[in-house]
Parts: sequence; structure tokens; C-alpha cells
Amino acid sequence: MDMSGIFAALLAVIGSPYHLLLLLIAVPTGMFFGAVPGLGGKLGIVLAIPFVFGMDPLAGAIFLVAMHAVVHTGGSIPSIVFGVPGTGPDAATIVDGLPMTRNGEAGRAIGAALGASAVGGVIGGLFLLAILPLLRPVVLAFGPSEFLLLALFGILFIALLSGDSLIKGLIIGLFGLMMACVNLDPQTGSQRYTFDQLFLWDGIDIITAVLGIFAIPEMIALGVAGGSIAGRRAQGSNYGLSGVIRGLGDVFRHWGLTLRTSLIGAFIGMVPGLGGDAASWICYGHAVQSSKTPERFGKGAVEGVIAPETANNSKEGGSLLPTLFFGVPGSSGMAILLGAFVMLGITPGPELALEGMDVVLTLIWALMIANVLAVALFFALAPAFGYLSYVRGSLLIPFVFTLTYLGSYLSQRAWENLVLLTALGGLGYLMKKYDWPRPPFVIGLILGPIMEDSFHKAWALWGPAFLLRPGALSMLALIAVSLGVYIRQTRRSSTEFPHAA
Amino acid sequence: MQHDASPGSFTTALSGRVLTAVLMFGIFVTMTLMALGFPEKARLMPLLAGVPGSVLAFIAVLQEFRKVGVDNEPDESARGNERQMLVWMMRYFLGILAFGFLYAGPVLVLAFLRFAKREPLAIAAAGAAGTWGVLYGLFELTFQIPLFDGLVLEWLAA
Repeated sequence: MDMSGIFAALLAVIGSPYHLLLLLIAVPTGMFFGAVPGLGGKLGIVLAIPFVFGMDPLAGAIFLVAMHAVVHTGGSIPSIVFGVPGTGPDAATIVDGLPMTRNGEAGRAIGAALGASAVGGVIGGLFLLAILPLLRPVVLAFGPSEFLLLALFGILFIALLSGDSLIKGLIIGLFGLMMACVNLDPQTGSQRYTFDQLFLWDGIDIITAVLGIFAIPEMIALGVAGGSIAGRRAQGSNYGLSGVIRGLGDVFRHWGLTLRTSLIGAFIGMVPGLGGDAASWICYGHAVQSSKTPERFGKGAVEGVIAPETANNSKEGGSLLPTLFFGVPGSSGMAILLGAFVMLGITPGPELALEGMDVVLTLIWALMIANVLAVALFFALAPAFGYLSYVRGSLLIPFVFTLTYLGSYLSQRAWENLVLLTALGGLGYLMKKYDWPRPPFVIGLILGPIMEDSFHKAWALWGPAFLLRPGALSMLALIAVSLGVYIRQTRRSSTEFPHAA
Repeated sequence: MQHDASPGSFTTALSGRVLTAVLMFGIFVTMTLMALGFPEKARLMPLLAGVPGSVLAFIAVLQEFRKVGVDNEPDESARGNERQMLVWMMRYFLGILAFGFLYAGPVLVLAFLRFAKREPLAIAAAGAAGTWGVLYGLFELTFQIPLFDGLVLEWLAA
């Protein structure tokens, strides 16, 4: 791969008015699909397929990649302002984004989200460029035992962030794993907890679970508390452009965190089957664990917005790798994109690395430019989104309820999901009210199937010795170190603040 | 969640906390016992999650019992608001389930704004019209996504 090829690909994007026009249309479209709860990037790509059908394959692919690249940039806005994730991975942004809104810092949070998304997207693209020559051995080094322990690490990591009670965090993480078992068992085909309901055979819908556990409890709590989401009178400086600029500056002030979470996100996105959804949570966990003041998290720490947002966008760069070169999607969104590429006449697989590197490089540049363009287009509009949080709750609640039920229905076109949504909404409210951490539930639900599948494969291949493989030992060491750091921090915290608990 | 401090008994907060922990414990125990009836390979994962989950949930029940007196009872107004919101959540669920998004959505928005939050009729009507516009204009018309018609309307149409 020579430098001239890399810059020729860049020129193919920015030197073509047609491609630039497509980018200008794709970016706001992608952000819109990300910002409206229940739509999401996957639906966006599906709905865009008829429009790109018949286009030049490269132009069509640029449009779809650019659109998909900025979905999470848009998705961060309802997460921060309303506590309603536009898409599943945006849920991690709620943990600190919504408290920032409540603290009167919605503009800053949105600025940080936009900046982090852009930087994450660009670093994800650069990571992709850098890793291209090393790709194959890295991806193939991950076997079932590594997948299993990586998934376990993800759940434990989130449980460690559960504030006052690690036990509650672990319980909810395990509860997510239990809920992930609601399906037709992939090994035996027998029904597990489905009660003969067809809609449960494929498992609990992630979108419904996220909406139920996060969106409904937030709306109930807003209705109980009354007033606006911000919960205080508007403070112009926090909600004007200055707040947004401050948020953007935060991304660069915390440059170390931004860089690390971008790389972690890109790496997680690169590993097929792990699912990019985990990236935002794992990076959030990293932000908490690496902070000198972890007690600020969950109460409106800007790093808690930066970490998941960089990961959300950088993972798209990473997940493009296995999608294009192995035909193995790195995330669920990439699975849809894979189908769209095939429809356009671009066949992903190892041959693309041999004969279609120009296409790959062009798509990487399109991904990076789309992320920067998203900020340029929406930077000026960001304060307006911040002001939305001062709308009276009574005006927001019915619309968000409607969108929540709509999102749950649209995700699988199953009315039974409405029943599930209501039940999980009630449970989520109890969890919120009585201080049970909710994020471990989502990560357990997402990683449960991966853990189970990996366990069966690892056991069949190596028996109990799968734990002694080098990759597995590395992951076990990572788990042990994380636990050790957590225990040390907890002890230090209880020594310094003996009456805090 | 923070409650407004007010003197009085701690019964509500205690029962809510303990009952939530008991609910989690009950879910884990029930699902673990159910897993025993699955085929060998199918029950592995539910048991791996269920057994430690049951133990931890039992510990959580004990911990919540020890927290008696930590939380103050929420005031009557907060409890009233909470009841109202839970009732409205059920109304949304039942309304959409029975009559679908296009009909129940706007009506529920209008009803919530007008009767639950006592907004002026003009605002409530505008909210309902906006909701219908988004549901019909954006989803049905623009995206050609057919929305759920509701069980009652589907039954009548059959």
C-alpha cells in the first residue's frame, strides 16, 4: 500500500463535486436516523437502499458509509437531552450526558459529544489505514476462548462501575445474561423461557430492552419530578454557543482519554462477533477506571460523554475491516451495510484487499470526512438542541412515550414487544428508584449470546484447557487487574471518605 | 432517586427497596429452577448466570433490610405523581395495543396534555396534530412503513 494510492483515494472523494454532494446529503440523513429513537442506522441504510440502487457502486457505497458513520453522532443528542438513546450503543452516553443536562450543561455535553464523535471517527479511520497491513493475523488470533473472556470482561467492567454496590451491578449484569438466554437454544433448538411465544424465539429485542430500561423510567421520573429535564432555570452561558465550544474544548483537554477510547473503540469494532455495541460501555468503564475522581461519574462528568462517543464512532472504522476483507460484519449495522455493498456490486472478501484497495481507501476517507462534516453542519445548531431540555416535561413526555412504543414496535414489527417494553419499563423504574444500576443489564443482554456460543465452541475444541491459551490468559490477567484496581480504589475511597457510604 | 425529605414512617421506602430486591431474587430463583428442566447443553448458561445471581440477590435482600431508615418516605405529592405516571404508562400501552399508533397516539397525547398536565386545549390539540403528522406523514407516507393498527382494529378488519 503506497502513499500515492492513499491520497488518490482522498482526491476521489474531495475532488468530485458529485461525491461531495452525496456526503452533504448523507450526513444530515444519517444524523436524523440516529437522533430519532427507534429509527437507527440500520433502518436508515435499509430505507436508503432503494435510493442508491442504480448509482455508480462507489458513489452508492460512499453515501451509505457516510450515512452510517454519523448515526451515533445524531444518536447522542436525544441521549443527552432526553435520556432516550437514539440507538442502542448511545445508551452509555446517558449515564453522564443526562446528569449534565440536569446540571444545566446540555450545550457543553452536546459540544463534547459532537467533538468526540468527530475525533473518534477520524481516529477510527486512521486506525483502519494503519492496521490494514496487519489485519489478517490480528483478527485470526481471536478464538472462542478469547471471545468468551472478552465478553466476561465487558460485563464485569460495567458491573464495577455500579456506584455504591458492586453486588447490585453484578446481579443486574447476570440478569442481563439470563435475559439473553430467552430464545431457542442455539445448541439444542429447545425453547428457553419463551412460553411458546414465537417473538421470543430469536431472543429479547435489544432496542426494546434499552428503551424499556432507560427511556420509560426517565419519562416516569420526569413526570414525577415535574418541571423540565434540566430541572433548573436556563443559564444562557451554559446553553449558548459558548457551552458547545466549551464541550468541544473538553475533548481536546482530555486528549489522552479521547485517543485511548478512540483506539479501544476501533479495536473492539474490528473484532467480528464481539459487537460494536459493547465498545461504548467498555470505553465508559475505562474512563471511570482511569479517572482520578471516579466519584464524579454518573453525576455529569464530561469524560463520561467523551469516552462512549469517541468509541461509538471509532468502532465504525474498526468494524469496516472485517466487513470488507472477510465478509464478516463487525457490528449489526455493518451486517446491513454488507448486504447493501453486495447489492451495489462490491463483493466484500479477501479479493477486495487484492484488487479493490482503491475502493476500500475511498470508503475510509468518506468515513473520516463524514465525521468532520457532521460537526461542521450541526455545530451551529447544537445550542438549539440544548434549549430543548428546558421544554416543560409535560410537553415532552407524551411524545417520547409515543416514540418509545413506536421504536419498540418498529425494531421487529412485533406488537408483543409492546408488552415486553411495558414490563421492562416498570422494572427499569424500580431499578432507577431504588438505586439498581441499569447499564450492566444492557451489556449482559448484548454479550450473553456471544459468551454462550464462545463457551460451547471453546469447550468443544480444547475442553477446560481453553483457559490456558495465551490469549485467554491475557484476558484473565486483564480481568484480575481490573478487579484489583477497583478494590484498591474502593478501599482508598472508604479510607478518605469513611462516612460517605 | 432522591425523595423529598419528610418526617414519618419509613414503610414505603423500606417496602419498595426490599420488595425490589425480593423481586430480583424471585426472578433469579424461578429462572434457575426452570433451567433445570432444559436439556443439558441448553441449561448450562442459565445455570452459570442463575446460581450466582440467586446467591447475590439473596445477599442484596439482606443488605436492603439493613438499610431500614436510610431513605425517607416520599411526600404525598410525589407518590400521587408517581401513581399518575404509572397509570399513564399503562394507558399508553393499552391504547396503542388496542387501537394502534395512528389513532391512539394522537388521542393519548391530547389526553395526557389536557387532562393529566392541564395544558391549554390549543397546545394539547397542536401536540396531537403534530404527533399524527409525524406518525402518518413521516412513517406511513414518506418511509412507507406500515404502523401497527392495534388488536381491536385488526380484529374488526378481519
